[in-house]
Amino acid sequence: MDLPQGTLDLLILKAVALEPQHGWGVAERIRQISNEALKVNQGSLYPALHRLERRGWIKATWDLSDNNRRAKYYELTKAGRRRLEQQTDAWRSLTSAVNLLLDHH
Amino acid sequence: MLRDLVHRTRALFRRRTVERELADELRFHLEQSVERHMASGMTPTEAQRLARLEFGGIAQIAEACRDARGVSVAEITLQDLAYGWRTMRRSPMLSIAAVGTMTLATAAIACVGSLADALLWRAIPVDASDSLITVAATRGRPGDGVVSYPDYVSLRDRARTVNGLAAHYSTAPLFVVAGGQAREVNGAVVSANYFPLLGMQPALGRFFGAEEDRVPDRDRVVVLGYDLWQSWFAASPSAIGSVLTINGSGFTIIGVARSRPPGLTPMPVGLYIPTMMLRVGYRWCDDALAVSCTVVSMIGRLAPGRTLADASSEFAAIMPAAWAGAPIGENRGLRVSRPRGMSEDDQEPRLVATLGVVAIVLLIVCCANLGGLLSAQSAVRQTEFGVRMSLGAGPLRIVRQVLTESLLLALVGGAGGLLLSRVFMAALARMFFAMDDEGHPLSYDFSQSAGVTMATLAVAVAAGVLFAVLPAIRAMRAPLIGVTPARSTAPRWSAARWLLAAQAAIAVAMLAIAALLAFSARSVLEGRNYDTSHVALMRVRPRLVQYTPQRAQQFHHQVIERLRAMGSVESVSMVGLGSVLSGGSARVSLPTWAPEQQLAVHYNEVGPAYFATLRTPIVAGREFDDRDTAESPRVAIVTDSLAARLWPEGAWIGSSIVIGQTRREVVGVVADLAIHSRRDSTQFWAFAPFWQNSGQVDSRLAIRTTGDPALLLPDLAREVHRVDPAVPIAETITLPTRIAALTRPVRVGALFIGYAAALAMLLTAVGLYAALAFAVSARTKEIGIRVALGAAGARLIGSIVGEGLTVVVAGAAIGVALAAAATKVVASLLYAPAAADWMFYAGSAGLVTAVGVGASLLPAYRAAAVQPIVALRQD
Repeated sequence: MDLPQGTLDLLILKAVALEPQHGWGVAERIRQISNEALKVNQGSLYPALHRLERRGWIKATWDLSDNNRRAKYYELTKAGRRRLEQQTDAWRSLTSAVNLLLDHH
Repeated sequence: MLRDLVHRTRALFRRRTVERELADELRFHLEQSVERHMASGMTPTEAQRLARLEFGGIAQIAEACRDARGVSVAEITLQDLAYGWRTMRRSPMLSIAAVGTMTLATAAIACVGSLADALLWRAIPVDASDSLITVAATRGRPGDGVVSYPDYVSLRDRARTVNGLAAHYSTAPLFVVAGGQAREVNGAVVSANYFPLLGMQPALGRFFGAEEDRVPDRDRVVVLGYDLWQSWFAASPSAIGSVLTINGSGFTIIGVARSRPPGLTPMPVGLYIPTMMLRVGYRWCDDALAVSCTVVSMIGRLAPGRTLADASSEFAAIMPAAWAGAPIGENRGLRVSRPRGMSEDDQEPRLVATLGVVAIVLLIVCCANLGGLLSAQSAVRQTEFGVRMSLGAGPLRIVRQVLTESLLLALVGGAGGLLLSRVFMAALARMFFAMDDEGHPLSYDFSQSAGVTMATLAVAVAAGVLFAVLPAIRAMRAPLIGVTPARSTAPRWSAARWLLAAQAAIAVAMLAIAALLAFSARSVLEGRNYDTSHVALMRVRPRLVQYTPQRAQQFHHQVIERLRAMGSVESVSMVGLGSVLSGGSARVSLPTWAPEQQLAVHYNEVGPAYFATLRTPIVAGREFDDRDTAESPRVAIVTDSLAARLWPEGAWIGSSIVIGQTRREVVGVVADLAIHSRRDSTQFWAFAPFWQNSGQVDSRLAIRTTGDPALLLPDLAREVHRVDPAVPIAETITLPTRIAALTRPVRVGALFIGYAAALAMLLTAVGLYAALAFAVSARTKEIGIRVALGAAGARLIGSIVGEGLTVVVAGAAIGVALAAAATKVVASLLYAPAAADWMFYAGSAGLVTAVGVGASLLPAYRAAAVQPIVALRQD
């Protein structure tokens, strides 16, 4: 399933909220948690990561990965955490409103 | 925000690190992917292939990341500039041509800017020049706006919206004798408040105060200009307190002004005397301080908080009561304005506007030309753009690249143009603006102001954008590598064809106008019914040394006798009004006419042999001679057209004519002196004998010499001084020099438009050559086939030249129409009759066509030389 417009940022912020992740990890996490339902295209993932970094919602550090390779890890900043909360609320109220509308007979 | 900035800055300055990190990050992702596939049992090769396939284009993702990261504008620009520089170096001829073209075109723009700035726009260079105003009288027709001294005083004392109103007569020809030198110097007669009003400071001594400018003729004090102090007094402080003679009166030097005082006219001021000394400084009125003698100009400073509009309405209200009912031609109103520019000639604003249009049209021609050339280059660069787009560059990025390259060319050209225009302006100033028509030195400040510099660069940038449009469109259409054949299709040259035709049209029009102006300047100089060559002029001014009319007549007789006796002098005559070939005006009528039938004509009082000296043909009767004296019957001479107007049935000689109030007998008719522009109709002239005006004191001499008059000028002056060394002599120049100065706008126009025309013609030739050469090279294969099928070389050449010729002939036809329209615009600058205009149109069209054919021949011969076998082997 393709991602609805504008949701990628939210998913990335959520994916790095628990612990720092590299780009590959973010994609994997989104795929796994959504039970393979959501697939992130690299062509949009990396530009999105760089954009979020520039906005200051995530920050990057270089670290060794599980298989001992250097990888770029992204973690949430304070501003990013606030952003995630806002976006989550916004998303919830949007979906519930849409649900209401769809459930209405 | 700050973080954003840090990020961008890092991206700019640590580009290598950032780039490496990006590459590492993407590679890590790929490797993870490869490992996953290998874990599921694939061979390494298979795994890698699949991983790359899944990942997509690395280059595009990297480019998208750079965009997302907001790579700074500066970085892209730097990159583009570096790239543009490489492109320029790869095709140096094209780059030199482009930069050279821009340099020559922007130099023209900058020159017009500097001219407009100095002549029309610039404020007087003093502190707080914004609050300076000039108050000028209006007369219901163009005039100089001077007022009488009493009128000035009444305005000064009643005006409340100004903080001071000064009077000045800044072009006073003063005959100065000091330290063994005697010479006419341009002086200024100024009120005492003139100096503080303009914020001037003395370099030495002091300026005169209000008390020294209160009682007529009492305080004979003078302030020297810095240059005069340097040259006449060797910059000696002891000059203060010494006495010099001005127009025969002794004046005590009390101070020296600093160098480069703010000039209110282009004539540099050598010395300043108080307005109470106007009777010494101005001798054309019996009493220069009387209310009937209009002589001073006014400059004031607005009081704090007051506007131009306040001052305008106040001055309208406090205008002298007598002005209200004054007829047209006398002072009848006041105009308040800000002093701007040095122009004193009402033709100059029109000239500057014309040159501005020419410069802009020239720049547009350059843009069209460069657009064409770069667009052809852009077509050649299709492959390069294709590669870049395949590597992930978006179309906007490519357009940006093309734009940056154009701007680079435009700015380098613009900077070159600014430098070149300084050279041009120095030459223009030397050639045309160094001297007025009476031989007085002028000083215009044509230095390039910051405003002109910025405006020129802005125009260059606009031009750069303009000539980037065509190549940019082409670049954007570049096919991706491998998507379509890399070889470009044959270029369409229909759009380019029209652009070239337009260029040819403009070249023809500019060429025709430049030629018309040059011919005009020449025809005024050579004259119809007069001959300026070998005529020297000299102004003798016995009035300045208090000669009576009787004594002046004696003096003139002696002078003329002495000059006639010189071996190198053919004839001598003089005029009493204005100057040689011009004069004053008068009303003439027939004795039977009612007063309202009077005709306004040009008028002068001329000496014996005036027309012989000017070589003006006598149509009937005789010219004035020694018989025509104050005692003899009143006589007159009229020009051909005036005679025909007054006596249509002929019988002119012996008829009576009333000039002013005096009835005169016509003794001669001379050919029309055609010295008027096309805008004015034929001018009527009437002449009376110099000696029949018993009030005559000063005169301007016209001396026909056998040799070069310029070389004889000192000898002529020495001869006049032998009669009385005290009589001031001025304006010793030759008639051709004077005419040349009078026709300055025509000559400036001819030179400037000629420059533009030459450049436009060159551009048309280059553009045509390039377009045809490109078309030939793109059609090599077709031509090869035609040659192989037996097409004759001559027919090939004919067909290529024919293509060029069609364009040029179409352009030339439009150009002739344009030229005819432009001729009307510059009619006030044209002195030659319109009947010959068609020759200039035809000549210009012919010249541009010939140049066009020449430019077409080269590519045509190249086409004819195509070897079929070589052409067909080409891919």
